[in-house]
Amino acid sequence: MTTLSVHDLVKDYPVRAGLRHSTLRAVDHVSFTLRPGRTVALVGASGSGKSTVAKLIARLEKPTGGRITVTGEDGADVPARAYRDHVQLVFQDPFASLNPFHTIEHHLTRPLRLHGRARGRAEARQAAHALLERVSLRPAAAFAPRRPHELSGGQRQRVAIARALAPGARVVVADEPVSMLDVSIRLGVLHLLARLQREDHLAVLYITHDLATARHFSDEILVMHRGRIVERGPADDVILTPRHSYTRLLAAAAPDPEVRGRSLTAEPGTVTEEDLHRSFDHYTGAWQPTG
Amino acid sequence: MATPTTPPPGGTTAPGAAPRSGWRALLPGWSPRLGIGLGLVLAIGLFGLIGPLLLGDPDAIDNMGRTPPSTDHWLGTTQTGQDVLSQLAHATRGSLQIGLAVGIGATVLSALFGVIGAYAGGAVDESFSLFSNVMLVIPGLPLVIVIAGFVPREQRGWWTLAVVLVITGWAAAARVLRAQTLSLRNRDYVLAAKVAGERRRRIVIVEILPNLLPLIASQFVYAVIAAILAEAGLSFLGLGAPNTHTLGSMLYFAQNGFALQYEAWWWFVPPGLVIALFGCGLSLINFSLDEIINPRLRLPKAAGSGTGAVAGRSTDEAGTEAGPAPREPGAVLTVRSLDVVYRTADPVHAVRDVSLTLRRGEILGLAGESGCGKTTLAYAVARLHRPPAEVTAGSVVLHDRSGTDIDVLALEKEDLRAFRWDKLSMVFQGAMNSLNPVISIHEQLDDVLTTHRPGMSAADRRARCAEVLTLVGVDPARLTAFPHELSGGMRQRVMIAMAMLLDPQVMIMDEPTTALDVVVQRGILREIIRLRDELGFAVVLITHDLPLLLEVSDHIAVMRDGEIVEYAPAARMYRAPAHPYTRQLLDSFPSLTSARGAFVRGGDTDVPGAAR
Amino acid sequence: MRYYARKLGFYLVALWAALTLNFFIPRLMPGNPVDTLLAKLQQRGGAVDPSARRSYELLLGTDTGEPLWRQYTSYLGNVLRGDLGVSVSAFPAEVTEVIGQSLPWTVVLVGIATLLSFTLGVTLGTITGWRRGSRLDSLIPATTVLAAVPYFWLALILVLIFSSTLQWFPLFGGYDTYLATGWNWDFISSAIYHGTLPALTIVISSVGGWLLGMRNMMVATGSEDYILTAHAKGLRERRIMTRYAARNAVLPSLAGFAISLGFVVSGSIITEQVFSYPGIGSKLLQAVENSDYALMQGIFLVITVAVLAANLLVDLLHGFIDPRTRVTT
Repeated sequence: MTTLSVHDLVKDYPVRAGLRHSTLRAVDHVSFTLRPGRTVALVGASGSGKSTVAKLIARLEKPTGGRITVTGEDGADVPARAYRDHVQLVFQDPFASLNPFHTIEHHLTRPLRLHGRARGRAEARQAAHALLERVSLRPAAAFAPRRPHELSGGQRQRVAIARALAPGARVVVADEPVSMLDVSIRLGVLHLLARLQREDHLAVLYITHDLATARHFSDEILVMHRGRIVERGPADDVILTPRHSYTRLLAAAAPDPEVRGRSLTAEPGTVTEEDLHRSFDHYTGAWQPTG
Repeated sequence: MATPTTPPPGGTTAPGAAPRSGWRALLPGWSPRLGIGLGLVLAIGLFGLIGPLLLGDPDAIDNMGRTPPSTDHWLGTTQTGQDVLSQLAHATRGSLQIGLAVGIGATVLSALFGVIGAYAGGAVDESFSLFSNVMLVIPGLPLVIVIAGFVPREQRGWWTLAVVLVITGWAAAARVLRAQTLSLRNRDYVLAAKVAGERRRRIVIVEILPNLLPLIASQFVYAVIAAILAEAGLSFLGLGAPNTHTLGSMLYFAQNGFALQYEAWWWFVPPGLVIALFGCGLSLINFSLDEIINPRLRLPKAAGSGTGAVAGRSTDEAGTEAGPAPREPGAVLTVRSLDVVYRTADPVHAVRDVSLTLRRGEILGLAGESGCGKTTLAYAVARLHRPPAEVTAGSVVLHDRSGTDIDVLALEKEDLRAFRWDKLSMVFQGAMNSLNPVISIHEQLDDVLTTHRPGMSAADRRARCAEVLTLVGVDPARLTAFPHELSGGMRQRVMIAMAMLLDPQVMIMDEPTTALDVVVQRGILREIIRLRDELGFAVVLITHDLPLLLEVSDHIAVMRDGEIVEYAPAARMYRAPAHPYTRQLLDSFPSLTSARGAFVRGGDTDVPGAAR
Repeated sequence: MRYYARKLGFYLVALWAALTLNFFIPRLMPGNPVDTLLAKLQQRGGAVDPSARRSYELLLGTDTGEPLWRQYTSYLGNVLRGDLGVSVSAFPAEVTEVIGQSLPWTVVLVGIATLLSFTLGVTLGTITGWRRGSRLDSLIPATTVLAAVPYFWLALILVLIFSSTLQWFPLFGGYDTYLATGWNWDFISSAIYHGTLPALTIVISSVGGWLLGMRNMMVATGSEDYILTAHAKGLRERRIMTRYAARNAVLPSLAGFAISLGFVVSGSIITEQVFSYPGIGSKLLQAVENSDYALMQGIFLVITVAVLAANLLVDLLHGFIDPRTRVTT
């Protein structure tokens, strides 16, 4: 039962142009909460800042401003050194996120032992096998001694998910977990994530550029544009009745066989000037200025 | 963003040839080169190790001197009557000793500065890197000579020399290791270890170092060669350690004993030869290490005959097998019974018996997942497949505007070159990498015109380049830009503009928008369709995104395992997909707007073996 | 511009590092070089005036009680003014004078040899890398023998074959000694005649490195998408090889120029010794043999400055060829 809250998160990157220095604001006052058993989808184009949010939550980057707090079962804030027991990340590219040098078992036993989930070699191995079973890599004994290149993309991503669960994490950030996979296995991996979430009551942040899977695999959707959240609300509301012009643009850009031939006529539209400075919240049904 | 990894068609990694990893990956694959290299190094190493024990005192004076090889003295004697072979054995040992000591020292220093600096990053990296770069540009040997000049002769031991050589010899390797570590430290698996909470030291040792080992080994080998050569040079100049036998000091005595003038080749040829052969042996070992570090250097197993090989296909055979392609009305490209095979040790039939008809002005969608052969098919049609891929059967015919039929697979060198881009152009998946990074957009567009339209004036060419850029919505002022100055979407537009330069009849687009944002993707697709409507070229659109094809294309072919499993008009395929695989693909894309229906979250069946 | 500013800054730092190294090496070494030098100077009949002594002291360091940093700044001042002291072995010539006489020989020899070897290596590397797997390409491992051959030994063999046995080239020297140095055809042709074998030695020993590096980069570049695109564009093979492949493949060779140049410079010092060539390498060894510390250090400085300048030049060229370096990094 771990809750993760993001308050007013800001991340600036230094940019050098010639001899001048300036900053690029990748994440601009972003706030949201991840609750146990619920999935929040963070949707946006590349460069919108959504992957930066993932890195900030995973503590791979330090925020310029704002706070990320994790509240444990007892309602108390989780101390910094226990942060990684609670919060884990699933990377986008399963071909890059597993070390080609090490076995699958190594990838799982390390975090198990690091976070005190298993003591001794035998126990760690047993726990690793149990994790493999949970992500439907069976028989676990056959997968454990293999190396990443002997697995397909889908299998690797399952290993990566198992690794995220190994420390006993209750908050999982999945950064485009299926975009590098073949289309026919994407849903399988998403369904797996959904099942694990149900079983462990996980809080999940699903980061994607794909509106359709965001709609079907999450409870709440946050739409991100240029570092800001421009629209938020229950999944179906945001997708079926988008209010912000950027969300509409995204929705219109998604391929849709139902409307064959529309691309010949439909103007893609633009983000209106007015919408650059406001966001829509479906929960309150109101616009808010975003500075 | 969504980039399913497609195996490079006809690239260097043949399907089935999985990259090795773990400890096995650190061992070079066996090759004659490696065999010869190991043989040389082992033989000379043993000679240096055992030789001195068997061959007696190198300083003992046996005869009046400078005698040519004989049964008593296999390599003759020196000016003072010492046995050359015995000297050679001791000298080899001495040189190897220095080489090894310096090799180890320099490798340790370079790993320390290169790996640790790069991993630590920030100011540590900056200062380490600056330090090694400075050490690198300060010429080593003059520095060593100066230092040696200050150290009195009697205080020069072999280890003094070794220390000086280590100090002047680590920088190059440090730079190489730094570059590699920098690229490794941002790999996802290193970040993953960080997220898992691993300590820094352990990340370096367990996650990064193993993947650096081949590189470190190769740098070590280089360091050993360099040290042996440097020591030899110093000793030859009389700056070596006195009273030690090394190959360099042997040459020094040979030179000062006028071996050359008396043509006493047996005295000065062997030491140099030992150095050269030992260095050569180490370099040959490094060849194999290089191939691990940079897999692209590996030669594809099957030897082919250049790009676009069409093998075992006499006109006769093709005629009987596929029949003269019947020309459908309005067709611009007819593919009949095309087979493409990767001729590796374990041949892969990448495209089997594929037949397609592309009509003028039509958009034909080619859908399938990674490895299904869709890209291989496209490349084979343009004759761009590389060995070991080979077209083994079938025909590709382009029905030209002029009314003549062009048998694409029969085109010979120059005709094929002229055919490409003029009749059929391509837009590749990697928009980021399809443009040459070091020449301007204008030069790359202009190249096409100067090659294919030699009669055109410079002004006309420039106007045409500007015209096509305008067509795809890029400001012609960007002609002077270099690829890195453009965004991803812009580059892909430039590629499309380039594809239209010669007004081709067919355009093959391989995942033209996959790496781009949905909104940018939409814009480019609109552009393609608009231009198709205006200019009337036909498009083969290859993508894994079936909904996209269903929306924009006229016909769709779904490929799996090299075969076309379904080929139908798009509208019909959407309404009534015939093949179960097509249905499976369609089901993989949840609809954005329709009712939730089958998509209930958490429907993981959790059946053993269901995971792919 | 940032790229050029960075490069310039780097070479200034490198220069400062070399000067500092030069200042500290004699001070860290055992013995008292100043006394040795002054004794030698007296032997040669040179009057030891206080200014000469002071200049040696600054260069080599001796216990005068003066604080180190003051010595250091005075030393830097002297060097920047071009005052490198008096050479003992060539007394009463100034160090700068000795260097001035021998430097051109080396610069021309090494310059031409490097240019030749670079051009040859890169051209051959381009061709072999482009036709990978061809018969020409299978000869590549043989070049490693060349790279592993000690310079001086190769020089000796060449002398044995071409000078002693065939008598095509002279045994040693930089020109016929009966000729007066000057810009006349006799002298220049004699210099070329004498320089051929030393240059050949350097070219043979260093060409393998360029060749192999270029070949490997060509192979790697061959699988880039823009090469495939160039093929699809129907460009002529030659054009793809030069403008698309080689132009990209040569960049790492240029970036690694420093290493190769260091190798060539080291080799040429030894080569000069074998041929008794009147260049700076021979002078350096003479200085070492005669414990002419001032000359030794002066030569080291000059070689370093020359190498730095050459590297800077190549870096500027790199910036010119690769447009990506010209913008922000």
